[in-house]
Amino acid sequence: MTTLLQVTGLTKQFAEHKVVDDVHFILEDKTSTALIGPNGAGKTTTLSMLTGLLKPTAGSVRILDGDLRANIGFLPQYPQFHPWLSALEFTEMAARLNGVIAKKAKVEARKTLEFVGLGDAQHKKIATFSGGMKQRLGISQAIVHKPKLLLLDEPVSALDPVGRREVLDLLKGLQQDTTILYSTHILNDAEEMTDQLLFLQNGKLVEQGTLREVRQRFDEQKFVVEFGSEEEAKLFASPSDRVVGCYVYIEILNEEPTMKKLLHRLSVCTYTIRKVERQTASLEEIFMKVAKKA
Amino acid sequence: MRGFNILLQKEFKEAWRSWKFLWIPLVFALLGMSDPLTNYYMMDILNAVGNVPEGFEMLVPELMPVDLLQASIGQFQTIGLLVMMATFVGIISKERANGMATLFYVRPISFGAYFMSKFIVMSTVSFVSIFAGFAASVYYTSILYGTLDLGALLVSFCTYYVWLLFVIAVTLMMSASFKTVIATTCGFTVIFLGQIVDMIVGMFWTISPWKLPSYGILLARGTMEMLDYWWSVIITVVLTLIFINIGIMMMKRNASSTKI
Repeated sequence: MTTLLQVTGLTKQFAEHKVVDDVHFILEDKTSTALIGPNGAGKTTTLSMLTGLLKPTAGSVRILDGDLRANIGFLPQYPQFHPWLSALEFTEMAARLNGVIAKKAKVEARKTLEFVGLGDAQHKKIATFSGGMKQRLGISQAIVHKPKLLLLDEPVSALDPVGRREVLDLLKGLQQDTTILYSTHILNDAEEMTDQLLFLQNGKLVEQGTLREVRQRFDEQKFVVEFGSEEEAKLFASPSDRVVGCYVYIEILNEEPTMKKLLHRLSVCTYTIRKVERQTASLEEIFMKVAKKA
Repeated sequence: MRGFNILLQKEFKEAWRSWKFLWIPLVFALLGMSDPLTNYYMMDILNAVGNVPEGFEMLVPELMPVDLLQASIGQFQTIGLLVMMATFVGIISKERANGMATLFYVRPISFGAYFMSKFIVMSTVSFVSIFAGFAASVYYTSILYGTLDLGALLVSFCTYYVWLLFVIAVTLMMSASFKTVIATTCGFTVIFLGQIVDMIVGMFWTISPWKLPSYGILLARGTMEMLDYWWSVIITVVLTLIFINIGIMMMKRNASSTKI
């Protein structure tokens, strides 16, 4: 794996307030990274420094082959377009401004609009577009020149469930040959397509790693067994276990022996057993924990 | 000047589709025809309205064609410039404020190209506009009063256009530097307050961009001191170039204030 983007000591200070504070991370080529954090954590500020729009107070952003602006595609949270232009005109212009030659730009623009599902609306004026269509157009202008790095600010937050599903699928289709960095506060989305997680809080990078790594760090090491009734649960539980209603939470000290012992106990008992599972923290739970820890 | 052609196309498309190429020239044409017509029919208008006291006699000055051209330019100078500047003063600042600029600023374009594409579109609209204005004025003047010398006309037209380029440079520089409201205030101050100041205490100097519109007329009348004229033209052109450069610089500097 090669490193595409290296961010070192990135800091942005507005007056006395540090919005982004000494952030370091690396984006490997052709990976997807989710930038997660509550509102006001500094996600958008970080992204706009990566696009080069905002000058960092300190630190640097380095991309593999030199010029940042030539190698990125950027989708702002609320992309704004010139309403007088048609979708095709805008996408074609976007491609040409990034150096795609005129003839190829038109072909690429058509292909991209088809890809994002705006094939039928390509000649319509942007003024007539709905929110979901604008978001798709936003994606098409960001990818039409095939940038190495795709920066997306809350790409699906403003969409309804159907639109979100479609856009997520679109992005998954791009994952194979593009490096993607996107910010979100909707954790299910991050869970779905991500190689690396960056947790941002109050401008600081408080946690980072692959989804698996972060999980391991924050997972509760527990089995959960659901019984038919509360009495059964109480009767089954040993003193060290926690009982909540019909559920018994069993602390895992040593994975394999604990599991075997548990399965053995379950197989010989006469209670109604509804469910047995290894508890995995959802990203949301991890998020809350990280937020509390920081 | 990377991306210049493409940006120019975009600006033209936009100006065209928002009817700027139609309605601004129309305003100028109306302004241009108003003076020859109202002056010529003044007596009829007064009689029709009535209320002229008995025994009232008005001395109607004998107007030359060039006087009417001067009056028309006076109209362009107030209402015309107001319309022109108000239409274009947000062309950079508004794009920043509503976030439309973002998708352009993140691409490898040159700010010089972006600024110049706007400058050229605005100066083309202005050209068409004052052409319409002059044409309307001259048409009615020639019907009602008599013809103007073509050479004199051309000279005053070109002189007025040089002044307009100066106005455009000021407008765009302000738009690049400030938010729309402040840009409007500053732009209007420079152009209109400048005119007033030049009118009140302008007798102490003879070289200034604000004098250019009246110099065009003096030139047509053949009573112009050529040295003052040329120096005024030169200083206007130089200032225009300086303002363009400041505008490009400020556009680049304010790129980060675009709404994301």
